[in-house]
Amino acid sequence: MQPGVAPAPVEPIKVGGPADPNRRRLKYRGRARLDPKEPFIGWLFSAPALTGLIVFLVIPIIAAVWVSFRDWNGLTPIFDSTPAGWANFQELLLDDGVRRTDFATSLRNNFYYVLGVVPAQTFIAFVIAVVLNQKFLKGKGFFRTAYYFPSITSSIAVTLIFVFLFQTNGAINLVLPIQDIDWLDNPRGLIHNFLGVLGVQDGPAFLTEREFMGLELWDWLAGPSVAMTAFMMLVTWTTSGTLMLIFLAGLQNISPSVEEAAIVDGAGPIQRFFRITIPLMRPTIFFVVTLGLIGTWQVFDQIYAGSGGDPRKTTLTPAYLIYVQAFTNSKAGLAGAIAVILFVIIMIFTLINRRVIRDTGDF
Amino acid sequence: MRRNKSLVLILGLALIMVACGGGGATTTTAAGETTTTTAATGETTTTAMTGGELEGVELRIWGGSSGEAEDAALTGLLEVFNAETGANAVFEAQADMTTALNTALAGGEPPDVFYVDSNNLPDLAAAGALAPVPETALSEPDDIYPSLREAFTFDGTWYCPPKDFSTLGLVYDPAALEAAGLEVPTTWEELAVAAEALTTDTQAGLAMGVEYPRWAVFMFQAGADLTNADVSVITLDTPEAREALQFVADQYSAGHFVRPSDVDAGWAGEAFGQGKAAMTIEGNWIVGYLDQTFPDKTWAVAELPAGPAGPGTFAFTVCYGVAESAANPDASWALIEYLTNAQGALAWTTAFNVMPARASVAAEWLADHPELEAFVTGADYAHRWGFAPGFGDVISVFNDQANAIVDGDGTVDELIEETVAAGEDVIG
Repeated sequence: MQPGVAPAPVEPIKVGGPADPNRRRLKYRGRARLDPKEPFIGWLFSAPALTGLIVFLVIPIIAAVWVSFRDWNGLTPIFDSTPAGWANFQELLLDDGVRRTDFATSLRNNFYYVLGVVPAQTFIAFVIAVVLNQKFLKGKGFFRTAYYFPSITSSIAVTLIFVFLFQTNGAINLVLPIQDIDWLDNPRGLIHNFLGVLGVQDGPAFLTEREFMGLELWDWLAGPSVAMTAFMMLVTWTTSGTLMLIFLAGLQNISPSVEEAAIVDGAGPIQRFFRITIPLMRPTIFFVVTLGLIGTWQVFDQIYAGSGGDPRKTTLTPAYLIYVQAFTNSKAGLAGAIAVILFVIIMIFTLINRRVIRDTGDF
Repeated sequence: MRRNKSLVLILGLALIMVACGGGGATTTTAAGETTTTTAATGETTTTAMTGGELEGVELRIWGGSSGEAEDAALTGLLEVFNAETGANAVFEAQADMTTALNTALAGGEPPDVFYVDSNNLPDLAAAGALAPVPETALSEPDDIYPSLREAFTFDGTWYCPPKDFSTLGLVYDPAALEAAGLEVPTTWEELAVAAEALTTDTQAGLAMGVEYPRWAVFMFQAGADLTNADVSVITLDTPEAREALQFVADQYSAGHFVRPSDVDAGWAGEAFGQGKAAMTIEGNWIVGYLDQTFPDKTWAVAELPAGPAGPGTFAFTVCYGVAESAANPDASWALIEYLTNAQGALAWTTAFNVMPARASVAAEWLADHPELEAFVTGADYAHRWGFAPGFGDVISVFNDQANAIVDGDGTVDELIEETVAAGEDVIG
């Protein structure tokens, strides 16, 4: 620079404009100017999967909701059905009768099933994942495969084998040191059994005399039947593997430096587990519990192959009731209504789950 | 950039697999393989069909499959039909017949001919999904047992001819009866005595499923029934029904009758075959099952013991139906005529242990199966197994209460009360 000469004025360079040397790096800041082909390519790649989702997921859901407001028997073309307004929902929720009682029974059974299976499978999956995540464990690949293996088996095949194992003279009773239990024939609810041990045989009058949706309050508090408990064990065994993998992925996302910092600060293993691991796993736990809720409220395969609602309708579930109403009783409209109500129930439980496990705004 | 594009491709494929994987469908229709083995019946049947009439016509028959023997027998008959008429009729066994048929009907592309169980007929007929039998399509319709024709008549219209039928009979172990010094029971009292005498520590007197299709025969024998003839009124609350149900309940509580699942058997036939019961009340299908699974077991069948009002049993029967929306109804009825006329009925029931639905053929069939006479004579007084659309819920209430009685925490009065209430809900 020559002394005494003012520097030449410099044109300000527009950020992101053609003269900006950082243009390539700034490409997607502000108003992005994309190659016009890119959105098209994006849609093209998503199209097959989107078509599959729309045809096999979105349209059937809309159709099910529509059918629930119609009186369709499932035997004639769907557009020949007559509109029924709220009649199906009324029959399920308000009208005193066998259909409402069956629906109430199925809701009660499934509620206890969810209450038992979701905590059990989440807890078992989490514990196994934590154990498999240890640095010192040898043969992790083998254990991972072994615990995941039940999830990839056919649910029908597994159910048939479990029915065989749970027979009164079957392998389970052979191994258990206590008196033989008639697993699949016992319709007595666990809570009733427990109260029976305490000396309460029949319900108190204020519970047996009141009814809700056609079912006595005392029956609402029956708990899962012994047969249902067998199915709960089956499903926990099958799904823990999948959930374990999800937890493992979540655990491996926790950077080891966090753990090391905690060790340096003097935290013991239990403190580390409860103060560091679990809070950091909150989003994963939320995801796993949601998956569990959705899956358990829709249990069907095991009931269809295993018991068909027996003994005494204590393994009846809403999903199985949908099948029975649609195909055996040719009341597809009623089945649609059950499906819609089930959807609402699952949504409510998922929202409750979200509130309970709510993190401070991370997800 | 190249890495990003391949990543997108992989993700796209993964999404496709997720979309197509779905949530685990459980029921799928399985179109069976058509066997090209020679006809299992080993008979050539002559038919009244003029050759070449149905040249090139494709016909699909759908039915539930009870096993390879039945499938092979039907395919054999169809091959003869195809050879004589030039048509191409094919039998497709369905794994889940109800679901498959319902979806095909709802979709407007039903199979040309399909099995209709007498219990499903009211639902299909009330929905207008079945075509009634045309006037001149079938030869000698009066030859068919009236009770079976009635089973397939809804609202006065006859919808389909039965392909065969089975009744319930008393299947027993002759050696066990003889060892106890007993005659074959013919009345309720004799049945009770025999069941008690044959009940030992390792064997029950009689195994019977705890469900309406079994318990109801006792009601028929006492002169009672669940509904009236045209299924418009529930008639369960009568002293005769109480008498019948109390008799059965008492036998179970005394341990002389046993529920199959209580002895770890899948059904009563299995309990009988395994020797866990000396007698059972089951239908013809037990014959094929015993021959195949327990070939060394000796058995005999007698008519069900008569009750205070006489004999009574169930007729379980399936017919060949044609859909209202069938593509080629003339061809369908031609095939049904071939399968259900006198020669067709005999050819079908020769290979397979069901009974022909035509009275004229009964004598010839009995000549081949003299030991099954008790099943055939049941046709004279058999009640039909079928009610009204949507009646399944009422039957399931009956079954539930019957199981409560056998469990020990239900009574006959409760069963009647609950079933009547449910029945009035469903049929108004």
